[in-house]
Amino acid sequence: MAKSVIKIRNLKKNYSNRTILNIDCLDFQESKIYGIVGPNGSGKTTLLNILNLLEKPSEGQIFFNGQEVSDKSYSETIKIRRKMTLVDQDPFLFHSTVYDNIAYGLKIRSISFIVQRKKVKNALRMVGLSGFEDRRANQLSGGETQRVVIARALAIKPEVLFMDEPTVNLDQQHVHIVERIIKKIKEETQTTIIFTTHDLSQAYRLADEVISILDGKIIKKVPENLFRGEIKEEEGLKWFKVAENIKFAIVSEKIGPVYISIDPRDIILSYEPFQSSARNSFLGKIVKIVEQNHLVKLEVNVSIPLVTIITRESFQQMNLNLGSKVCLTFKASVVKIY
Amino acid sequence: MNFIIEGIRKAFQLIFSLDKEIFNIVLLSLRVSLTAVGLASLLGVPLGFLMAIKAYWGKKFSVILVNALLALPTVVIGLIVYSLISRRGPLGVFSLLYTPSAMIIGQFILATPIIIALTHSAVQGIDRRVRNTALTLGATEVQSAWAVIKEAGYAILVAITTAFGRVIAEVGAAMMLGGNIKGSTRVMTTAIALETAKGEFGFGIALGIILVLIAFGINILLHYFHDMKV
Repeated sequence: MAKSVIKIRNLKKNYSNRTILNIDCLDFQESKIYGIVGPNGSGKTTLLNILNLLEKPSEGQIFFNGQEVSDKSYSETIKIRRKMTLVDQDPFLFHSTVYDNIAYGLKIRSISFIVQRKKVKNALRMVGLSGFEDRRANQLSGGETQRVVIARALAIKPEVLFMDEPTVNLDQQHVHIVERIIKKIKEETQTTIIFTTHDLSQAYRLADEVISILDGKIIKKVPENLFRGEIKEEEGLKWFKVAENIKFAIVSEKIGPVYISIDPRDIILSYEPFQSSARNSFLGKIVKIVEQNHLVKLEVNVSIPLVTIITRESFQQMNLNLGSKVCLTFKASVVKIY
Repeated sequence: MNFIIEGIRKAFQLIFSLDKEIFNIVLLSLRVSLTAVGLASLLGVPLGFLMAIKAYWGKKFSVILVNALLALPTVVIGLIVYSLISRRGPLGVFSLLYTPSAMIIGQFILATPIIIALTHSAVQGIDRRVRNTALTLGATEVQSAWAVIKEAGYAILVAITTAFGRVIAEVGAAMMLGGNIKGSTRVMTTAIALETAKGEFGFGIALGIILVLIAFGINILLHYFHDMKV
């Protein structure tokens, strides 16, 4: 059985009397990829920051390779932190060359210049950017920046690599490239990768194990179409405001901030709006198509991404494509409130 | 009008003949101001940095105080230091008055708030991700602080240059604390003031041209450094 590299026991993080993270027990085994899934504000980033020892938990214990981390001295904490690293969702490159950026972690570890050069070269090869050493960081595209940040993390050969939403700000082409890099890291190194995402399908594509987190707690399965927003009452009706210009009609006794989810099977897809008792109807464009056996999962951008599932037969009959303009309809009663 | 043209002609004559007195004055000015700014940087850069990144009691007040000190008139600094180092003052035993050291003290007091205030604002403007990035890559607190200072490098250099520009051009404190003694404490600004009062325009203009050239030279170097960074 693989060894646990990180163990969490009774972990809690409070901010101004509110518990934003509450995890009883969670183990990460070496050389595996873990996908932590949850909507924005569910506690994913806080968890990564705590595991990377950038933030302290309010309660509980973290074990790294069997050693408890919280009772360590400053120098021992630095030693443990140097065995892992975090690729932030909003990555930053120092105002210097690609080489200087990737070599930073090696320089502060007093690694010799010759070894530095070798490791930088290898890290750039891993992310498919060989020969980029002398480029200025501010001349890179968003996708290249993300790859250099990953190379910088790989150069120090971490035991654990945390990646916070590694593809969130990237175009589709770079999403594929970064996903390939993650798979390559698993194939070529022993590194344990723990990444967060709000894209459930990405988590299942990449991870050996998917961990779902909602409101700071580990849950069995994160539902699709999960949103965080606020329930408001207008003219006697309850609305869930999910973004500035979009609200769902719902049935609820609650008022205030909540999570809601809509089962993709409860969303009807059509080309035109139609007369029905359903109170929620939105026009949008298909932005993603994933075929799964007899079903097809479609992501439609209606200002926010909504996922719907239809049969392969319907998909073919309707002649749907990426960019097709469609209408999504669902009843207020199918919106599940947490 | 003739006396101005004659003054400019004489100024170039003095500069190109490498007049010994002029160059001794320039060297002393540079020595005093560079020492004062060097010492002020050693104190001001770390203080400005700490003020920007640390949370402490009275932080707001200290920022207001440092910014208020920027407006401190040089003659007031001269007056305060004079009262401390004159024979009757608490530091009179060191016989510092009318020495280059006294001028360095005055210019140090003038330069330090400038460097603290501008370093503080430079570090505050640095992306918060710099520190976190360094820490996630395994940096210690000192190493991550150095990464922030490096990112703010150009702005800190501007702070130091601004302080140097201010002290080398000031006349109040240099006059009161140095006394404008020929061959000992006569610097460019005090010499310009004295020689102009005596009607020696050529001498004054020559020093004025050198002063302006030094200011230009430093700014050109600064821009060259900026271009290198970009």
